[in-house]
Amino acid sequence: MSEKILDIENVTVSFDGFKALNNLTFNMEPGELRVIIGPNGAGKTTFLDVITGKVRPTEGSARFKGKDLTHLKEHEIARLGIGRKFQTPRVYLNLTPRENLEISCNRTKTVFDTLFKKTPQPERQTVSGLLETIGLSAQADVPAELLSHGQKQWLEIGMLVAQSPDLLLVDEPVAGLTDEETEHTGELLMALAESHSIIVIEHDMEFVRQIARQVTVLHEGSVLFEGSMNEVQTNPRVIEVYLGSEPSISTEEMTMLRIAASMAWSDGHFTNEQQDIILGRLSQQFAKDGQEQSTLQEELKDYLAKDIPVEDLVPLLKTPEEREMALKLSYEVLSSNQINQQKGVAYQRLLQALKLPPEVVQRVEQSVTGMVS
Amino acid sequence: MAVDTALGRQRSRRSRKNKLLIEAGIVVGVALILAVIVPLILSDFRLTLLARFMSLAIVALGIDLIWGFTGLLSLGHGIFFALGGYALAMYLQLQIPEGQIPDFFPLYGVTELPWFWEPFHSFPFTLVAIVVLPMIVAGLLGYLVFRNRIRGVYFSILTQAALVVFFNFFNGQQKLINGTNGLKTSTTMLFGNQVGSPSVQFSFYLITILLLTLTYAFCRWLTSGRFGRLLVAIRDDENRVRFSGYDPTSFKVLVFAISGGIAGIAGALYTVQSGIVSPQYMDIAFSIEMVIWVAVGGRATLVGAILGAIAVNYARSLLSEQFPEVWLFFQGALFLIVVLVLPAGIVGWLRTDGIDGFRRLTGNSRTLSTFPSVELDESLQKEREIAEK
Repeated sequence: MSEKILDIENVTVSFDGFKALNNLTFNMEPGELRVIIGPNGAGKTTFLDVITGKVRPTEGSARFKGKDLTHLKEHEIARLGIGRKFQTPRVYLNLTPRENLEISCNRTKTVFDTLFKKTPQPERQTVSGLLETIGLSAQADVPAELLSHGQKQWLEIGMLVAQSPDLLLVDEPVAGLTDEETEHTGELLMALAESHSIIVIEHDMEFVRQIARQVTVLHEGSVLFEGSMNEVQTNPRVIEVYLGSEPSISTEEMTMLRIAASMAWSDGHFTNEQQDIILGRLSQQFAKDGQEQSTLQEELKDYLAKDIPVEDLVPLLKTPEEREMALKLSYEVLSSNQINQQKGVAYQRLLQALKLPPEVVQRVEQSVTGMVS
Repeated sequence: MAVDTALGRQRSRRSRKNKLLIEAGIVVGVALILAVIVPLILSDFRLTLLARFMSLAIVALGIDLIWGFTGLLSLGHGIFFALGGYALAMYLQLQIPEGQIPDFFPLYGVTELPWFWEPFHSFPFTLVAIVVLPMIVAGLLGYLVFRNRIRGVYFSILTQAALVVFFNFFNGQQKLINGTNGLKTSTTMLFGNQVGSPSVQFSFYLITILLLTLTYAFCRWLTSGRFGRLLVAIRDDENRVRFSGYDPTSFKVLVFAISGGIAGIAGALYTVQSGIVSPQYMDIAFSIEMVIWVAVGGRATLVGAILGAIAVNYARSLLSEQFPEVWLFFQGALFLIVVLVLPAGIVGWLRTDGIDGFRRLTGNSRTLSTFPSVELDESLQKEREIAEK
């Protein structure tokens, strides 16, 4: 059995009776990239505070590579190999990026070594390499206060890496970044994940989808759900927590909805017309009377996720009937507009993923064509 | 490519070495001018004044270390300053025939020398005590405060409270250290000469120059390397330092103790040049003035601390000779001007806007370096050419 890199058991943190974390249990394998999401006040930041020693748990234990963290001070935990990036970029504004990195890179962090020893050559090289990785070589020797917000975010990530920790804790790395910067940050994290274990806390769902393999959802200080991003997005309890009310349709129905939506998205435009068709057809399918249909339509609007790959969605459907249903709905959406090339490609991908027998496909297509004409 | 950067690094190292040599040359040059030429120009009275201001410049260096670089505003440096002064004054008071005790003791009915005076019979012990005694007090105070993560304005208030405690203690202990009257040094003997005599005062003038130079060199060394960068890092974001695996407490305790030791040296020199040490050295206003000198000269610029201390004190002595009653107003105005107009102090301003302004005046302003992508973009360069025409 391989040892867990992080093992948190039944941790409770209470501030004056308010439980910021409530009997939380969480663990992680070495080399994993884990994303933690959760609504505001779910305890995400407190969770990081417990790991890094900023907050002591009232109950429970936190272990890193088998070592108990609950009695260590922040700097001792950092020396064990846990690096943390804060929500807002926190770099030393009056020092240059090179100096920022050198401070983190220092291997012996005692007073007298810092005082009497110069930065050794290998550390200088590490720092130069890192500056290149985070794209700050040109700005290496200007004060960090002159950097842009995004560059500061990267500099702080670079400082974490310079520390060469085994576990990186990254709190909202893309808050306030442009789309392009967000994508770069995602690539940077993915590259880092090859040699580190990483926990990312993030709100930006697009970004989570870009990097996530395994997602943990926190709610009211405990783990609500753990699974892949698709499982998370279709899980009724998670949706309830995020949107405030429990969905009245099942996971499978939600998946069908999303498959159809991704067909509509495939050429980059999602017209209102297409939205009406999807919502109308689905609500007819799932609700009995007219009034119920219209309320359901409103609700379903919230669940239309943007452009999720069908290959991820299809495995969530279990029975052939459900897959047939998904096909029918998708075909309907597609034939409501001119079918262009992109849509054709998307449809072929869907067919491949669904793996339905050709005669079934033919039957469905005919029934839809018949209905439309 | 790799060879290129290695060469570049070598070159930059050499130029850094050259810069250091130039700086050392300037410092030694200024010290020699002060030691050889200035005494020929100034009267004895002015020379003693200058010597006193230079010893105040030493404590300003200590304040700069703790406030300018590390961001801890200490309002209690009077404690360490006075401790250094008392240590030396006690030694001087004991320079009397064997078996006698300093002449103020009998006034309070004390017939036997208090125990803690005994080691001050020894000159080497006194020299060590001038530095180490304030260091220990600063270290202890710092440890208690920093371990409990007391920061910012609470730290300042605590140092001021400590100052008041020490002031009241020294003020009230007639039987131990002559209370509010303090210890006189001007009439005592040092190596067979009277301390107040011009020849001894001139030696102290030279010693002050030497110690100021040495303290400057020491602070320069302390703040230029990794340690100095870490001090700035603690000032910028202490928690970040902590989560990077350093223990800021030990760094802060060390630098506070060093700063206290420096203040002790300054206090001892100031005492023998003023002729007396008294609890007045632990006056609240005096400790705040120390901070003002550094603010005027420029925080986190060591030269600024020295110049600030000397300039403000000279201005004070000139102004209070002419118009005794306006000095305090002037000092307040000075502080306001510095905070509002020159937040980086005189030297800080000279290093940034001052240099640019001078270049603009002399008509050789520097071309601004921009991002490489801008430099390489032809259309942008064309626009720039057009704009320059």
